[in-house]
Order: sequence, then C-alpha cells, then structure tokens
Amino acid sequence: MTFSDDRPTMIEFKDVHKYYGDYHALRGINGSIRAGEFFSLLGPSGCGKTTLLRTIAGFEDISSGVIMIDGKDMVGVAANVRPTNMVFQSYAIFPHMTVEENVGFGLRKDPRSKEDKARAVAEALEMVGLKGFGKRAAHALSGGQRQRVALARALILKPKVLLLDEPLSALDKKMREHMQVELIKLQRQVGITFILVTHDQEEALVMSDRIAVMFEGEIAQLADPETLYRRPATRKVADFIGTMNFIPAEILSESGDAVEVEAKGLGRVALDIAQAPAKTGETPVVGLRPETLTLLYDDQKAPERETDGVIDEVIYFGDMTYYDVYLGGTDVEVRLSMRNVPGRPVLDVGTKVRVAWSPSALVLFR
Amino acid sequence: MKRAPILRGFTLFYLLFLYSPILLLPIFAFNESKVMAFPLQGFTLTWFVEMASDQNLRNAAKNSLIIALSVATLSTVLGIFAARASVRYRFPGKAPLMSMIMLPLVLPEMIVAMALLVVLLSLNIPLSLFTVILGQVLICTPFAVAILTSAFQSLDRSLEEAALDLGETPWSTFRLIILPLVMPGIMASFLICFTISFDEFIIANFLGSGQPILSVYIFGQFRFPAKVPSMLALGTVLVCFSIILLGFAEYMRRRGIAKAGGKDSGGFL
Repeated sequence: MTFSDDRPTMIEFKDVHKYYGDYHALRGINGSIRAGEFFSLLGPSGCGKTTLLRTIAGFEDISSGVIMIDGKDMVGVAANVRPTNMVFQSYAIFPHMTVEENVGFGLRKDPRSKEDKARAVAEALEMVGLKGFGKRAAHALSGGQRQRVALARALILKPKVLLLDEPLSALDKKMREHMQVELIKLQRQVGITFILVTHDQEEALVMSDRIAVMFEGEIAQLADPETLYRRPATRKVADFIGTMNFIPAEILSESGDAVEVEAKGLGRVALDIAQAPAKTGETPVVGLRPETLTLLYDDQKAPERETDGVIDEVIYFGDMTYYDVYLGGTDVEVRLSMRNVPGRPVLDVGTKVRVAWSPSALVLFR
Repeated sequence: MKRAPILRGFTLFYLLFLYSPILLLPIFAFNESKVMAFPLQGFTLTWFVEMASDQNLRNAAKNSLIIALSVATLSTVLGIFAARASVRYRFPGKAPLMSMIMLPLVLPEMIVAMALLVVLLSLNIPLSLFTVILGQVLICTPFAVAILTSAFQSLDRSLEEAALDLGETPWSTFRLIILPLVMPGIMASFLICFTISFDEFIIANFLGSGQPILSVYIFGQFRFPAKVPSMLALGTVLVCFSIILLGFAEYMRRRGIAKAGGKDSGGFL
C-alpha cells in the first residue's frame, strides 16, 4: 500500500454512459487510473464492471462520454490498434495452435527477424513460468497453464494496459491464491498498468493498489483497499466488502467536525466527521467490523469502551472463532471474531460476556 | 450390459433389410448371366468393361460431377455466410429470414422443381446444367446452413476478440482463427451437399432439358433389360465411391476434433 499519488494518469473516464437498447449499463463513469497501477473493478455480477473493461479494450462502443488512454481519446479507435491487451475469462487460447504459436500470435506483423521473435516468445514463456512448454499443443494444457499462456500472449506485446477479465475465477482455491501472488509479482516486474475485473472482494483487496466498487452501472467508491475496508462510503459498499455489523443509531447532534450518536446497545458515542461519509438519506446506522470487537476474559479491562452481552451463536473456524453476541440486553446482535490463541477457551452459547470496542472503529451511515 | 435377445434380433433384421439389397449389386455385377437370378453363373468383368465403354454414361457421369461439385461449393459458401450471420449478428427480420432459408428442407422437392421450371421458362432462360445447379443449390443450402451453424456455434466468441485484441483485422481474424476452427464443419457440409446433389433426381429431370445426368440416365437405362448388368456394375462403383468418401469425411472430422482438443462424440463411423 505504498502507492505514490504522483504517477501520471493512464486512463481517464469522463461521464461514460453505455446503453444496450433501453438498458442503461454504465451510468456516468468518472475517474482515472494511474500508470503502473494495479487497479480493480469490483462488484456483483451485472454491475457493469466487465462492460467497462470491454469499453477500454474497444470491444464495446460507449454511448456518450470520453475514454482517454495515455492522453488519447479512444472514441472510434478499433480494438486491434489500442495500446491494451486482454486476458479473457475463458483464456481464449487458440486450440489449433501450439503454445509457442499462441504466445507469438501478436508478433505476426512485427518486423523483427524470426530468431528475435522466437527469443521474445521464449522470454515471455519463461516470465510466466512455462519455460520449455513452447512445443506443446494448446489444448493439452491445464487451467493454470492456459492462464499463463494467455498472460504471456498479452504481455509479449508490451501493452500500456493489461486488462484481466475475472482471470482466476476458473481456478480452484489453492491455485487461485497462488496465482494472485504470481500476478502481483508479475505486475511489479513489468510495471504495466493492470486492470482486473473481479466479483471476489478478497481477491481485489489482496491484489490491488486501488479499487473501484461498482453497483448498477455506477462507481460507488474508488479508493485504496484499506480506505475501502475501514471507511466505506456507503452501507452497500460496507456490506459488499468483508463483514460489517450494522447497529441502529440516532443522531443526537452534528456540528462541524463532530457527530454525536446514540447507538442501540452501545450507548452515546462521539464520532469524528471523517467517520461519517456523505449523507445518502438512509436510516442512520453505525457499522463495526467483527475484528474491532473483542471479548474480555476474566478481569481484563477494556482500553476504551465496553458493553455487556450474551453469546447467541458460536462458529468455530480453527484459527478463529466467530461469536454472535446480543449487546447490552437489546435485540441488537453483532458478530465478532477472536483468534484462538492458547489459554483462550472457546466459550459456550449463553455465556454472559463483556465486549470491548473502540469509537474510532465506527463508521456512521445516514 | 443386459442381454435383450428380441432387441438384438430386431436390430440384426433391420440392418439386413437395409443393406442386403445393396450387397446384391456387386454380387450380380460380377455374374456372367444377363438375368438377375440365383444360382450365379460364374465370374466376369464384362459388365464393368461395357459400363466403362458407354460414351453416354461417361458424359452423364461427367455432368453429374460438374453439377455436384458446383452445388457443394456454392451451397457451402452460401451456408458459411448464412450460418455466420445467424450465429454472430443480430439484425431485424433475422428469425423469418432464417426460416425461409431452411424452408426447402421440408418443402416437397416436386413443388420446388415445378415452380422453378415455370419461372425459368417464362423468363426464357434455356434449361441447362446451370439451371440444375441453381435448383439443387436451393435444396442443399439448408443442409449446409444446419451443419455450419452448429460449427460456428461451438466457437468461443472470445477467440475472435482475442485475435482482434492482438492486432489482427476482422478479415485476418476470420482467416487465421475462425476458418481453421470451422473447417471440419465446412468439409462435412461440402460432402453432404455433394452426395445429395449427386443422387438427386427430380430437379435433374425437370430442369436438365434432357442433358445426360447420372441419376436420370440410370433410371432411363433400366427400361432395357440388356443394360441392367452394366448399371449394376455402375452401382457397385458408386457404392465403393461412397464408402471412400464417407471414410475420408470421418477422418477429416476426427482430425479436426483432435486438433481442437475437443471430445469425440457421435460421428459416422
């Protein structure tokens, strides 16, 4: 997360709209992606993230607005001359060619000599860890290998932007986690702007420098992963990224840089204005991540605030235990997570507990 | 597997009923007697020699080949356009247009032949091999479209987009990616159209204006008992020809599937 803000802009969206007949797929996209950034478009299916990616690649026209890539307006520029390359969800490996032919496909019109091209192909294969696979038939590869071929094929052209359309969704969990790390390393190595489309919030948090969360054709929030997680802009974003407890609250006073609320089960809390994103007209609630709540054992003291509770449900995960706890004799239930360290027993349903929390971890949605 | 003697017997009977008449062709083609009757009277190649020296027959065979090759080529090319358009693009009136292309499949051939004859005559277009080709293309195109549509449908759209993305034009994408991958479908369409055209009778008879065409010629020769044995020899040659053709088609199909890494399901042989 040490991404510097002073890098030049690579892609810029200005009020981009896309209609499919009556369907309004992109509803005024604004924002910019910086050069060398690992950027993710995150959202549920049908939110427009893939459509947005395809407008960058040039597979979809936009109905109105402007998309600039490296300072050039892309309206009317065909996909085959844009400085972008794509890794497709299905990988789109040409089945009638060898691995080598696939990777070298984009070099067909390259004026370099045959030997130079062969060297470039070999280098690209080595970069993705497929050294010596060149002569294999493309259809004889495993899912992970296909993905690497697709990566090598796209990167060999040294594009300004690499577009990745849910590239990991077809892999099993272990392989996916492995490839996440590989992709991050690869991106740092080549320094190309990566734009990843994903519906997996964990994947986006792990891999990205910045993330645009999209709902219904709009960007709900564009921020770095930590901001997105700790300071979600809306309740919907908070709900989509990780787990968050929502507690009904009443706004008592609001003045300049402070908001005072009465949260059910927690009591009166004074919040900094930074903890209260712009109003959206929702019923006020405060949000708390499970890991910001802690069970107090024996005579432990809460560093800041504490609240009584009763355990309603225990979910054991091995390294962690999730507890659902009713707060302070109310019907407000929160989920909290505790690491299972030695000497800390897993508690039973019905146990009366004390819950420690910190006002600075709260986010107010209103 | 369970044993089912009745089903097994039925299958055997069915196959026998289907193929034994065809097996009679070579048997009598090599028989010395002019009459098709058992017992056989000794081995001879006379009928094949007589067949090969029949100038009219050779003409008819040549005409049939010209027609069948033209029809197979034209129908397959038209089929490629239609199948590609129907799989890949959306345009107004697509559904009725496609059904109209497929309609000759269920339309009695008799009606097509009569209608075409009336139109051609009223337009003062002389009947020739060309008019036969025209009529047969109408009949064969639906088969080509049906075969090629399924070939185009099994093509992943993102393969095309990947080629575009890697700098190819739409035309070179078609040539380098789409065409090689639908080639087995194109071969299948060509061979089926060729076969349909080769033994087509009604249109050849109506629109051929007495030009010797194999199917019409064979039918005509059966009026003369003396000609029957050489027709049986011809039939034998055609059966062998069909088997070779089918074997070749199947070989191409399997090679295509293996090349594309697909799983083999179905097929002819």
